[in-house]
This record gives sequence, structure tokens and C-alpha cells, in this order.
Amino acid sequence: MEEKKNAFFTTAVIAGILLIFTVADFCRGDRLYSETENRVLAARPSLSRESVFSGKYAEDYEAYVTDQFVSRDKWIGIKTRMDILLQKKEINGVYLGDDGYLIEQHLPEEYSELLVAKRAALLQKLVGEWDATVMLVPTADNILTDKMPANAPYYNQAVLLERIAAQVGENHYVDVYGSLKAHMDEYIYYRNDHHWTSLGAYYGYLAWAESRGEEPYAYRTDAMTVVSEDFLGTLHSKTNLDRKGDTIQYFEGTEKRPVTVTYDFNEVTDTFYETSYLDTKNQYGFFLDDNHAIVQIDTSYRNGKTLFVIKDSYANSMIPLLTPHYQRIYVVDLRYYNGRLSTLMKQMEPEEGMDVLVLYNCIHFLEEFSYSE
Amino acid sequence: MVFSSVLFLFRFLPFFFILYFLVPGRGKNVVLFLGSLFFYAWGEPVYVLLMLFSTVVDYVNGRLIWRYRGRKQAKAFLVSSVMINLFILCFFKYADFLIQSVNGLTGARLPLLHLPLPIGISFYTFQTMSYTIDVYRGKAKVQNSILDFGVYVTMFPQLIAGPIVKYSAVEDALHNRKVDIIGISHGAKRFAAGLAKKALLANTIGELWAEISAMEIGGISVLTAWMGVFAFAFQIYFDFSGYSDMAIGLGEIMGFRFPENFRYPYVASSVTDFWRRWHISLGSWFREYVYIPLGGNRRGVPRQLMNILIVWTLTGIWHGAGWNFLLWGLWFALLLMMEKLFLGKILAQLPKGIGILYNSLAVLLGWVLFSLGSLGEIGGYLAAMFGFGGKLGDSQGWYLLGEYFILFGIAAIASTPLPNLVMGRLEKSETGWGIALYRLGEKVVPALLLLLSVAVIVDGTFNPFLYFRF
Repeated sequence: MEEKKNAFFTTAVIAGILLIFTVADFCRGDRLYSETENRVLAARPSLSRESVFSGKYAEDYEAYVTDQFVSRDKWIGIKTRMDILLQKKEINGVYLGDDGYLIEQHLPEEYSELLVAKRAALLQKLVGEWDATVMLVPTADNILTDKMPANAPYYNQAVLLERIAAQVGENHYVDVYGSLKAHMDEYIYYRNDHHWTSLGAYYGYLAWAESRGEEPYAYRTDAMTVVSEDFLGTLHSKTNLDRKGDTIQYFEGTEKRPVTVTYDFNEVTDTFYETSYLDTKNQYGFFLDDNHAIVQIDTSYRNGKTLFVIKDSYANSMIPLLTPHYQRIYVVDLRYYNGRLSTLMKQMEPEEGMDVLVLYNCIHFLEEFSYSE
Repeated sequence: MVFSSVLFLFRFLPFFFILYFLVPGRGKNVVLFLGSLFFYAWGEPVYVLLMLFSTVVDYVNGRLIWRYRGRKQAKAFLVSSVMINLFILCFFKYADFLIQSVNGLTGARLPLLHLPLPIGISFYTFQTMSYTIDVYRGKAKVQNSILDFGVYVTMFPQLIAGPIVKYSAVEDALHNRKVDIIGISHGAKRFAAGLAKKALLANTIGELWAEISAMEIGGISVLTAWMGVFAFAFQIYFDFSGYSDMAIGLGEIMGFRFPENFRYPYVASSVTDFWRRWHISLGSWFREYVYIPLGGNRRGVPRQLMNILIVWTLTGIWHGAGWNFLLWGLWFALLLMMEKLFLGKILAQLPKGIGILYNSLAVLLGWVLFSLGSLGEIGGYLAAMFGFGGKLGDSQGWYLLGEYFILFGIAAIASTPLPNLVMGRLEKSETGWGIALYRLGEKVVPALLLLLSVAVIVDGTFNPFLYFRF
């Protein structure tokens, strides 16, 4: 009798788990998008004779059921915690570093020699034609090496940068690597996001100024303005752990004199900083209103100089620091700009010429940069 | 449909069992048959017809063999059944391999058929052959109900990955099976344990093998190479034995008793012992329908060696149409022959630990042959394992070891009888707390395993199923 009671109980627990989640799964609604996973979830496939007999319907339906499964985010959270219990130092492409750092993983095998050669050649062409300055920012895995898990593999960007420097020539190359490495113990990368902080961008700016022979503006690193203390960025999303947020700061000095910022030629504002993003998941969008194809900045420094920046999102927090050096700055993001870059550049170039700056992190550079005449 | 999927666990399984237990008497077989057809057709909407064809052919041949039993015609129908099954199996599984081999040897350019392999074909053709052969031999009675026979062939628990259930093992259960709550709870626990083996161990450690096998073989260190084989060894064991556990558990819930398929193969103390513990249902099928009919060990040593060679050649290519599978079979044939001749006697006198070590090495080397497709890769990998070319250990190897050493530890313990031994001790313990602990564990552990497995499945970045290919 005792044995039967136990057997009944055991069965009830197992069957109960399966049934409860089955019922719960039928009660939930479909989601289009997962914010935590940052991807579109599979939708219910449509039924057709063709899709059934090819097996595609079954395949799609299975993806749909799995993607939409009740409390999907919580299940993934359980899996992540299991991984941590197993002492895993890498979760979903993110290293769990020391001092509370999440560091994005970039494996060496992902960046082939062919890819590097191709991007470097395009860059060399651009530099040759426009006398451009090149700023490639290493990602956190290359700078915060003391915070990386022991022996963790990473794509060595120092090698890439050496090659780029040689190819474009030292006087076109800004050594951001060395500048950041010298400050590796400071808060130069976010702990929960793949971007550099405003302080990191500031050290990048110093390297730029030094290489260009410009007198750097006296931004006050001891008096930066805090706008958020609960920034949980992309790396947090990928791991979905309970974590303390990052602090977002900016330099007030960047807006000491009035600016006019025009997004995609139609949206005009008088600031680099969009506080509305601080209430969303994408708080980094605070800088330069997230990403736009073309941004035009008119400063109040009437020196007649124009800068043309070809960039990724890393640049967004550094560009405001360049304000005192130019009267006008054009900013182009090739992920969003569909036209021909060289045509645009010729169109924007004033008679007296313009400086050209290529500002990417190394990874985005390899993944996104292109230039054609 | 794969057992370790949201679709199976939270759609098929609950609906199937609710229906199955609601419907009384003979109706249960109708539910099981239709449910199994749906289960199979979900992944193979076309090949389900092939399976039904195979079912009908063997049903008819079985009846004819029975009708003419003891007469010459019976043999003709047996031959017809076996030939049709082997033809189906060979055509779908080996045609392209044969064409490629012919092309390779003769320089001909015969076009390939590019037929996808029907899931489970190697399993169900072997099952139906066991039926007609056993009827011919008088070891089983004819099955006059096409429904019951259909249930036997198509039954979803063991349909796509075994165990290979001989007809005689379930003959009675097909029309008359009893199940009580103790059997159901036992089956449910067995299912949860099997699911955990698959999702928590095979899938997770399989990621390591996937990572290592994708590396440039020339560049990997000895450490990385060995971790890779160990990872594959654990992956294939927990994948396959987990699937068998789930099948056996599901069968038990319905009152079927399927044969055990694995008995801790990695603690075997010789290769002979290993094959009594690994994929037991396939081994016993070959023993009963090939090895013994060929004379087994009763016709002298040379004949026995020949029989071993034949059986393990077949075992090898049963696993897939590729030279590496053949090589894998031959590797074991060689070791088994050596054990028959002299090695077995030596091993018997040595401590058991040495035997286990020897068998592990033999099996691990076997997995290199098994898991890598081409001879070039196999050669390169073996070279890496034994330090020709690479370093002993590199930072990549140490990093991966750090990522996986706990999982390796858990997998190693889980592949020994230890966990069951502990549970068994507790169950039979005289003290009150021992029993209490057992009772608690009995309820909590399966539930926990089930929940954690679901987490891994939902996360589901990596859920391959190795035995689909066979």
C-alpha cells in the first residue's frame, strides 16, 4: 500500500509538470520579438499541402512551439544558472570576467585572413584618396585581459592593428590600443554592454588629438555628469543574469557652446544627448540618438573646418568630444546608409576640403566597413 | 519527432497518454497505432508509406509462413520476407554508397540517387525480420491481427532508435498487457532519467565535441584531442542510452517490457564484455540471426573467427554507409578475435582495472573511427592524440578543460553503476532516514531532472540526435 502511494505520488509529480506547462503554454499569447534574446521569434507557420509533404511544416511548427514556449526567458535563465554552477566562463558568446565584467567573445577563427585582407585593402584605398585618419578601437577582450577568464581565446586585435597601421601609414593611424591599454584599470568599458564608456571614448579622443597634433580640450574627467546608474546593455541581454547596472556619464564640456544636430537631414535638435533612451533597454542610444544613416553637426566653433566621420556605434560617445575642433561634422553609418559612400563624400566636401575620420571598433570594422568608388 | 523536444513533451506526450488511458481495452492498440503513425509521419510524411508497406509485407509473409509451416513453401515466404526487408534497407541506406564505391573503383560516372534515409529504417526492418524468422522457426506464433502487428512494427517509443525488440519479447503484451501504478511510476522515472541523460549530459558535452571536431585538426594539442574523444564517447553513450531509457520507460507506462539496451558499457573489462553491454539488442539480434546460424563457436576456432569477422563487419555498416563505419566494425572484430585467441586469457589474470583501461582505450580509438567521416581526418586526429605535430597542452586546451571538467566528472560518474547503487542501498537500508531519503529522492530527482532538461531543451541551441542516422 505504502509502495503504491509513493508510486502514485511520483507519477503525479512527473505528469503534473508536463501537464501544467502544456496547459500554461496553450494559455499564453504569441510574441513577435524577444527583447532579452534580441531576435525575432518564430511565428506559427501556415499550413499547405506542399509544406506538409516536404516536411517543412513540421520543422517550422517545431521551431514555433520552441520559440514561443511559455516562460521561455525563465527557462533560458535556468540553463544559464546551470552553466554557472558548472563553472562555465562563457555563456552564449559572453565571457564572465573578473570584477563583474561581461566581455563579448570574439573567437580567432571567426576572422579569416581573407576578410582582414579585404577590409584592409578597402581602408587603404579610402585613406589614399581622402588622406583619412584611421581610429580602430579594440574591444574589451583585448584591453581588459586581466579580467578575462584564464586562457580564454580571443581574436588578437593588436596583430590586426599593427597590420592596418603598416598598410595605411603611421601618420594616418591613431594608436587607440596603446592609449586604452595604459588605462586598463579604469572604467573604460561597460560591464554589461559591449561599448566603451565615455571615459574610454575620452582616452580615444586624447589619442586622436595627439596623433593629429591638436590641443585637446580640457574635458573634466573628475566632473562627468551621471545620467543613468541602471544601464543593462547587450551583454546582459545575452546572459540574462541578475546584475548591477552600469553608470552612463557624459562630458558637459561638449555642449558648452550651442550645437545643432540634424538627423538624416530632417530631424533637428540642439543636443547630442537623447534622454528618452534612458527609459528603454537601449540606454546607449542616449548618445547621438542611437544610429542614423547621416548626422550633421553644426558647432559654434567658427574655425571653418569640416570633418567627415565614417563610423559604427562606438563613435557615438566620442564624436561629441570632437566639437571644439570643427565647425561642421558629418557622421555616416554604413549599416544604415544605402547610397554610394564616395559620391556622398564628394557631395559634402566643401571647397576648402575636409578631414576624414574612420572610427570603428575592430570587430565592427571587419564586419561592416566597406568603401567603393 | 524527437523525444527531447518541446513538441514531444508538451504536445504529443500529454495528448497521447490522456487518449491512451481514456480509451478502454482493444481501443488502446488503435490509439497506439494511430499515435505512432502520426509520430512517424510528423518527421517523415512520405516514408510513413514505406513503413506501412513493410508492415503489410511481413504481416502477409508471416501468415503464409505459418500456414505452410513445416513445408517447403514456408521457406520461400521466409526468403521473400528477408529479401524484401534487406532490399528496402540496402536501397535506401546503401545505394549511394555502393554507387560511389563503384564509381571510385571503376571510374564510372553513375549518378547518385540522393535519397534521404528514412528515419528508423534500420530498426524496424530488423524487428520485422525477427518476426518472420521466429515464426518460421516455430519460436513465435503467427499474428493474425494486422492491428496488433502494426502496433509491434510502428510503436513510437522504440520506432526510431531502438531498442530492437524481438517479436517474441512482446508477443503476449501486444494483445494482453497489464499495467499498475507501480509500473507507470517506474516507467515515468525511467523516462525522466533518459531525458536527463540526453538533454543534460549528451547535449551539453556534445557541444565540446562539436567545437573540437570543427577545429583545424593539424593545430590541436594532445590535451584537446583527448578531450574531444572523451566528449564524443560520453555524448554518444548518453544520447543513445538515454533514448533507450526513454523508450523503455514509455513502454513500461503502457505495460510493455522492452529489453535492456545498455549495461554500463564503459566499465567493461574487455571488448567482449563491452559488446555484452553496448547496444545489447543489436548484438543479440546479430547473435541470434547471423552468428549462431553461421555456426557460432561450435565449429572450431577458425570458423568462429570467421563468424566474428562477418558479424562485426555487418555491425559496422549497419551504423552507416561509410568506410569509417566499416573500419570501426573491423577494429572491434580484430580485438574480439585477439581476445578469443589469447588476449582474453591474459586479461582474465590481470586486475580488473587494467581490463577497464584497455577496453576504454580500444573503445575511444573506435570512436575516432566512428565519428570522423574520412580516412584523412581519422589519421590526422589520431596523430594529434598521440602528439605527432601538436603540443601536449595549449591555452585553448586548458581553457576548454576549465569549461568542462565538472561536466566530465558528472558524466564519468553517471556512466558507472554508482548512482543506481547508491539509490539501491538507500531503498534497502534498514534505517528510517535511509528510506526517507530514498522516498524523497525518488520524487524530487526525476522532477528536478525533468525541469532542468526542459530548460536545456528550450534553450536548445544544440540538440542533435546521433542515432537518427542509423
